[in-house]
Amino acid sequence: MKAHNAFSPRSILMAVLLAAAACSAFAAAPVDKIQAMLARPPVLCGRFDQSKQLVGIKKPLLSNGRFCVVSGKGVLWRTLQPFPNTLRLTRDEIVQMQGDRVAMRMDAKQEPVVKMINGVLFSLLAGDLSQLETLFELDGSVTGNSWNVALKARQPALAKAIGTLALSGGAYVKTVTINEASGDRTEISFSGLQSGSSAMTAEEGAALE
Amino acid sequence: MWVLAVGLLLAHNGYLWLVKGVVPDTDILALLPVQQRDPVLQQAFTHMVDAAQQRVIVLVGADDWEHARSAANAYNAVLAKHADVLQTGMQLSEQSQQDWLAPSQQMRLSLLTPSQQDALRAQPAKYWSDTALQQLYSPFSGPKLGAWQDDPFGLFSGWVQARAQETPVRPRDGYLFVEDKGRPYIVLLMTLRQPAFSMATQRAVLPLLEQAGAAARQAVPSVELVSAGVVLHAGAGSAQASREMSTIGVGSLLGIILLMWLTFRSLRPIGLIMLSIAVGCLGAFSVCWLIFGQVHLLTLVFGASLIGVAQDYGIYFLCNRVSADRKLDSRQLLRRLMPGLLLTLTAAVIGYVGLALTPFPGLRQMALFSVIGLLFAWLTVIFWFPALVSAATLNSSSFAAWFGQTRRHWPLLKWNGASLLALLLFASFALTGIARLKVNDDIRSLQTPPKALLADQIKLGKLLDAPTPVQFYLVRGASAEQVLQREEALKQKLEPLIARHVISGYQAMSSWTPSLQAQQANRTLVTQALLAPDGPLKAVAAQLGEDQGWIRQMRERALSGAASANGGQALTPEAFLKTAASEPSRHLWLGKVDSPEGAIYASIVALRGVDNYANLPLLQQAGEQLAGVQWVDKVSEISSVLGHYRQYMGWVLLGAYAAIYMLLFARYRFAAWRVLAPPALASIATLAVLGLIGQPLQLFHVLALMLILGLGVDYGIFMQEQSLQRDRFAWLTVGLSAASALLSFGLLALSGTPPLHAFGFTMLIGIAVVWMIAPCFSQDSPKEEKQ
Repeated sequence: MKAHNAFSPRSILMAVLLAAAACSAFAAAPVDKIQAMLARPPVLCGRFDQSKQLVGIKKPLLSNGRFCVVSGKGVLWRTLQPFPNTLRLTRDEIVQMQGDRVAMRMDAKQEPVVKMINGVLFSLLAGDLSQLETLFELDGSVTGNSWNVALKARQPALAKAIGTLALSGGAYVKTVTINEASGDRTEISFSGLQSGSSAMTAEEGAALE
Repeated sequence: MWVLAVGLLLAHNGYLWLVKGVVPDTDILALLPVQQRDPVLQQAFTHMVDAAQQRVIVLVGADDWEHARSAANAYNAVLAKHADVLQTGMQLSEQSQQDWLAPSQQMRLSLLTPSQQDALRAQPAKYWSDTALQQLYSPFSGPKLGAWQDDPFGLFSGWVQARAQETPVRPRDGYLFVEDKGRPYIVLLMTLRQPAFSMATQRAVLPLLEQAGAAARQAVPSVELVSAGVVLHAGAGSAQASREMSTIGVGSLLGIILLMWLTFRSLRPIGLIMLSIAVGCLGAFSVCWLIFGQVHLLTLVFGASLIGVAQDYGIYFLCNRVSADRKLDSRQLLRRLMPGLLLTLTAAVIGYVGLALTPFPGLRQMALFSVIGLLFAWLTVIFWFPALVSAATLNSSSFAAWFGQTRRHWPLLKWNGASLLALLLFASFALTGIARLKVNDDIRSLQTPPKALLADQIKLGKLLDAPTPVQFYLVRGASAEQVLQREEALKQKLEPLIARHVISGYQAMSSWTPSLQAQQANRTLVTQALLAPDGPLKAVAAQLGEDQGWIRQMRERALSGAASANGGQALTPEAFLKTAASEPSRHLWLGKVDSPEGAIYASIVALRGVDNYANLPLLQQAGEQLAGVQWVDKVSEISSVLGHYRQYMGWVLLGAYAAIYMLLFARYRFAAWRVLAPPALASIATLAVLGLIGQPLQLFHVLALMLILGLGVDYGIFMQEQSLQRDRFAWLTVGLSAASALLSFGLLALSGTPPLHAFGFTMLIGIAVVWMIAPCFSQDSPKEEKQ
């Protein structure tokens, strides 16, 4: 038996999990408050707009599309512009489709952390702060109907890999910002959020099955 | 003088057991011949197996991660106090993946997986520009082993992932873990500080593991512990052998005492026979220790059966004393018995010499142990019995008288119809049985680890998907570069086998450090397919709104990085082995080794997922016709050695029959066949029985046939000697002797150790048959009826 260190290059979140820190008793008051403000519908769909600013590339990379978060099932992230691309995270795998071609597939059987990645991504989009707290130090503030949370990785190696995260929202998460140590910056904002059984198109429902 | 010799023996034994505190050796491999014809192969095997042998792996499984962690912590806490016995391997570095992979990362243009090479040759530019852009736009999957610009097409990420796929084990929170059906298992790696086959190690380690397991169970009652390690098997084997040694030893001793009591109604003869056996055992142990420097536990187990033969001399003397004329002096009696005694000793020694002729060090030791033991017991009878036993000492019992009489009921073999019919019946029985006899030399059939251990082993193998240490390819070459090139040729043959699920993967040094030739080819491939001015980068630049200058910049970044990496040096195994990332691959590289042809380089290509033995020929084929590549299958190699020596021992057995016949011919002339016929017929009958009950023949059966010859000849000689003297007590001698041989050897049939069982079972049938038919071959001497 040989124990490799794990390599999980495809995802920030993979790195997050690899260096997962021990859960601490820390729970700042605002986090509880924010948690209480969040609606947690079983199905949540909407539009996303993403802007990525990369070191060495002049223009920001803009993309948009639709996403769905289905409790207990997973996440569907469909980029429509500038070109179609689908990311599907379910219990057992992460699949990235480039048109009809499978560009990447990670199987939970081969890569055991897949399940954890999916869990964290789900928490991130659904605003499940108590889950995120196992990996990040949370620092939040609440003003009226909206809230902000800054997430700082609990382990230095992880912080180095991912930088910091910031979430903001009200009843739902509205924006996610990722500031990487390398200087790359990603901003995602959500709009047109719908919940309930009509939120998801039949096509999306089928894609998550 | 003999008193002095025995005194010395006692002192030496006392010194060994009490002062030096000797412990018997338990390594079953010591029974196998040392492979001498190929030192490189031997080294490769040692390289693979020695490391594996010293390892103990425990999986701590629980319903969730928290529970698994607390159980693992409890387990480790116990072991931490005993670091001198068991080293726990929690050496997960704090370094980030980036630091860890830095040497490879610098050389990324030189590193490609086979499927990447195929894609670079086959896929159009659009495929690669799409790949690059998709990674840029995708929110959650940026290449995070460095900046996007350093690996725009995700080649290095893909290569790293391919390396990661070589094991399902992943670090998590400073632990190593695997997952099975949603259940987390923490992997605890431990290394023994002392040899796994030393009983002292087993005595220290096994209770410690028990204790650690108990602590884990106390912390988390529902914990699941899966343990594996050679030391566990060795421990179970030693425990079983010790147990059997005492039960079989004590059982045969008690049986023999009972027999003696029935025959002589006095404790004195028992004491005398025990004395001869004890001197035999002490002598055997001392001499073995002086010659081998150690005594194997199995030698002692086998030695327990020595009692059966060693007593023959004493019994022979005592039975004759009872029957002899009371006026006859014991010394005179001995002189009269001398020819028979000498013959029996010589015949037994010839039988054991057959064992000593095998190239198995363990068996040689057993043979020497037995010969020395017999010699010392024999000498004790010769020197002491006449002095200690006088005619007045012994009384015949009614049991002895009755038993002696029973011989009358045995039919004698004569030229008549009844004998012919018996012979015909026997021949047809023998032919049917032997026609059905199969052989099986598989080494695996010689091991019966406890079921729980085996189940754990299987589960662990499945969860960890570890490479097998007993089947691999050995690659040799004149230089490290040549070895790597040959590995690469082999890997091309293995890729299709992965696709066909014959194996799940392989581990090779060249996957981490390709040959210089392959590194160059990889760089050329990447440069041509991806970095050409009008290649995929162009489409990426257009999408990003960048210009030609950006393309040039990207290209230069890749090429100058590759050129300056590693101080301008290519990646070599020597350099790679100095990095932390090489830790899991170190067992693969033998490096420079001495061989009869001078110093050469060698490496191992290990295979994972070899769970179907029917696929082994496919793997063997894959390595054929590749220069410098050798398929190594230790299991079948040992099995074929066992098979070879089974046949070899068959010839030795026939040779021993011939040699003993010559010996007997010198004394008995044309009656010599009467001595040899019973063991020969018994051996044939034994083979027939094995065939009929479907037990395949193996080496240990043949070894037992050798002993049947040795003992059978004794009985023949007793009968023959005494029929010369027209004495009916011969039958009593044979009866006592055979009964106690059955008690000592036959009890081995109860052993759970397959070789001992095979041995004992053969003896059980063989000796019983010899005993039953020996009287039939006596000469028809009418004077006997006068009694």
